[in-house]
Amino acid sequence: MVSKPDITVKFCKLDLENPFLLSSAPPTCTGEMIMHAFEEGWAGAVTKTIKPDKTPVYDLDNRFGIMGLEDKQMILFENIEEVSKRSVGTWVKEIKEVKKKFPGKILIGSLMAEPKDEDWETLARTISEAGVDMLELNLGCPHGMPERGMGAFCGQRPELIDRLTKAAKRGSSVPVMVKLTPNVTDIALMAQTAEKAGADAISAINTVLGLIGINIDTFEPMPTVDGKSTFGGMSGPGVKPIGQRCVAQIAQATNIPVSGIGGVATWRDAVEYLLVGANNVQVCTAVMWRGYRIVADMIDGLTNYLSDKGFSSVKDIAGKTLPKLTAWGKLNKDYEVVATIDKDLCIKCGLCYVACRDGGYQAIKFEQGKAAEVDEEKCDACALCTLVCPVPNCTTWKRVKK
Amino acid sequence: MSGRIHTKTVSPQDRIKGFDPYVSNLDERMALYEAARCLMCYDAPCMSGCPTRINIPEFIYRIKTGNYYGSAKVIRGSNIFGGECGYVCPVERLCESKCVRNNLNEEPVAISMLQRFAYEKEKPKGLVKFGRAPPKKRKVAIVGAGPAGLSAAYELARMGYGVTVCDSNPRPGGLMLYGILPWKAAWSVAESEIDNIKRCGVKVVAKKKIADVKSLLKDYDAVFIGTGTTESLGLGIPGEDLTGVYLAQDFLFGVARSLKREGKAPDLKGKRVAVIGGGDTAVDAACASLRLGAERVYLVYRRSLTEMPAVPYGRNQAKEEGVEFLLLTAPVRIKGAKKVEGLECVKMELTAPDASGRRGVKPIKGSEFLLDVDAVIVAIGQKPDEGVLKSFGVKLEKGLIVVNENGATSAKGVYAGGDTVNGGETVVEAVAEGKKAAAAIDKYLSGGR
Repeated sequence: MVSKPDITVKFCKLDLENPFLLSSAPPTCTGEMIMHAFEEGWAGAVTKTIKPDKTPVYDLDNRFGIMGLEDKQMILFENIEEVSKRSVGTWVKEIKEVKKKFPGKILIGSLMAEPKDEDWETLARTISEAGVDMLELNLGCPHGMPERGMGAFCGQRPELIDRLTKAAKRGSSVPVMVKLTPNVTDIALMAQTAEKAGADAISAINTVLGLIGINIDTFEPMPTVDGKSTFGGMSGPGVKPIGQRCVAQIAQATNIPVSGIGGVATWRDAVEYLLVGANNVQVCTAVMWRGYRIVADMIDGLTNYLSDKGFSSVKDIAGKTLPKLTAWGKLNKDYEVVATIDKDLCIKCGLCYVACRDGGYQAIKFEQGKAAEVDEEKCDACALCTLVCPVPNCTTWKRVKK
Repeated sequence: MSGRIHTKTVSPQDRIKGFDPYVSNLDERMALYEAARCLMCYDAPCMSGCPTRINIPEFIYRIKTGNYYGSAKVIRGSNIFGGECGYVCPVERLCESKCVRNNLNEEPVAISMLQRFAYEKEKPKGLVKFGRAPPKKRKVAIVGAGPAGLSAAYELARMGYGVTVCDSNPRPGGLMLYGILPWKAAWSVAESEIDNIKRCGVKVVAKKKIADVKSLLKDYDAVFIGTGTTESLGLGIPGEDLTGVYLAQDFLFGVARSLKREGKAPDLKGKRVAVIGGGDTAVDAACASLRLGAERVYLVYRRSLTEMPAVPYGRNQAKEEGVEFLLLTAPVRIKGAKKVEGLECVKMELTAPDASGRRGVKPIKGSEFLLDVDAVIVAIGQKPDEGVLKSFGVKLEKGLIVVNENGATSAKGVYAGGDTVNGGETVVEAVAEGKKAAAAIDKYLSGGR
């Protein structure tokens, strides 16, 4: 047994005691909440987005919705909430309090303003001088704010990313991270634009624009505000593949660290993000669902994982998967396998049979009461049978010569 | 995937205070969860465990999508007593025993609970009705309004035949309304399904005993006999004629009649009761005795638990309620002057398995003992009333009507099914046999003559 792995992370010269941060969201609404989270073990927190006092912000009743499986297993979470309603003065006071009580924790101030250089510069100056360790520019919020030229409105326009990053950098006395929206055609381009404009780090993704559901009895979209709704931001487990794709693209396209966001709920999710190039991860939805306490298992689980795998620190797995991500055209077309079904493990449910018959290559033979069998001549190795099979390791792959 | 949903049950002490159902149904949240446990197997094995071949994965899938009425339609399309069967089927040895989740070392999907859920969702909307073919001139008489007869009647009425069902009881339903007590299935379930059958144009004549099938054939083109088993087998030991000895079926019918205010139940308050037998009926009689206020109830069975035909679920419930199982124990004689004063028993031991694999038993010499009881219920099996069967003029064997694979008896135009043919099976088996005979009757009436 090697000594306990080191899970600290260096992020833009900042020392994180672990790679787990709270993202800018309801769990970081107040200094008091952030301090509570720090007590539970979070390495840092990004404040709920602070905006100039002149910008009005409203809360709607209700503003959340979910898409879930049985027994409230949440797959996607939607919100149509705006940024923090609280004044800059209040935030300055609370930032000082938090930093005084938790000098070793990383506090990041999230900012948003109308696309006016002077507003961003002033806000960046005020909040950085209040004592935060870093700023995060919210150029990603996809609901409410973009209608007024903020949030994703800015993050979808390279010229605004460029201009506002520069403005914030002018005002800030601390590193500046730009938070990007996935609701763009090419997020790598947006990240490169921020990098060129002087950003010290990128965080991605903000929520994915969507429509969580419709009440088919009342015809009202959800979340319903007095009978109507608007498109909102999706988060939670369902957006993780999108977040991972974006983080990998950004990591491949830039040379600045990325803070990975999107569907991180457990240490396993975090490991995946770290493997595709994230320096650390930010969490919101999972905390809203189960509380700050989930960080204890994230820390412990990550530590055990590294130790089980024989790694001495988080750095050892950083970006380890990136070289394995390539273009479709570069994938090995000469690699051929066929499915094999384990006769003893097969529970004779016939799910692989019907899936292959109706969604594949009619390559599985099945008779009730007998194990399913693969016709190797017909099998095209698409993997559908493996995916529908309820039994672990029942379907395996056998290499064949072309 | 997590395990099967178990709903709340009323505690044994509380539930024996009355005859009400004591297992809660699935609520919507639970039903959706349990439905999601169904793998939706292709050519699902559970269906082969259902005599009426309900498309189980399909009805569960419809629950999963929230199409509850559609789910009920699937069930009712195969089994017109789908609601009742959801409550009374011994699913442990039928559909659920075949569930593929058993192969995953899990409990099977709670098929019967989901079937009940579909029925409870269907009921407020009105039970699913299927279209009727244009009326035909031919008429069919059904003797016995139990599940076999009513199922045949319904199928034939749908095909357009004029159908009349006669039954000797005050109301139709047979065993469902007289042999099954409400803690298993509220009578309203079968009643609603019988009403549904009547709405399809089936004419039901109650309190009418048929003894001459031949004369029926003058007015009808075909006859179906589904008179069930109405007599309990006796023990053939001394003392069976004493006051305080009951035959299981009479006893259960008596309890049912008293609950329906059609008669009086045996007074077992404070009594010590021995129920003899190891089948589901014996277990029911024991549980009913407790509910009638018996002080102690023994279930006396000559073999061991392994051989006991009663489903484990039922006997576990009985044990919980306080029924004392005296296994490997056989009755020798019932003692008493006029009334039962005790039951002399002998301990038994298992012998080597016979050709069928079932182990026999033999008495252990000198192990006789007296069981201090003042009532005995004999529940070792049922049979049809042989006198009635003989009057039908069809071929019998071992006291049962002989039919071919289509349910046809030895007499032309006369068909039979249910307990009177199989000697005492399940409601669902009776429904299936009624269905099968109806198809044969249709074939016979449309082409066979």
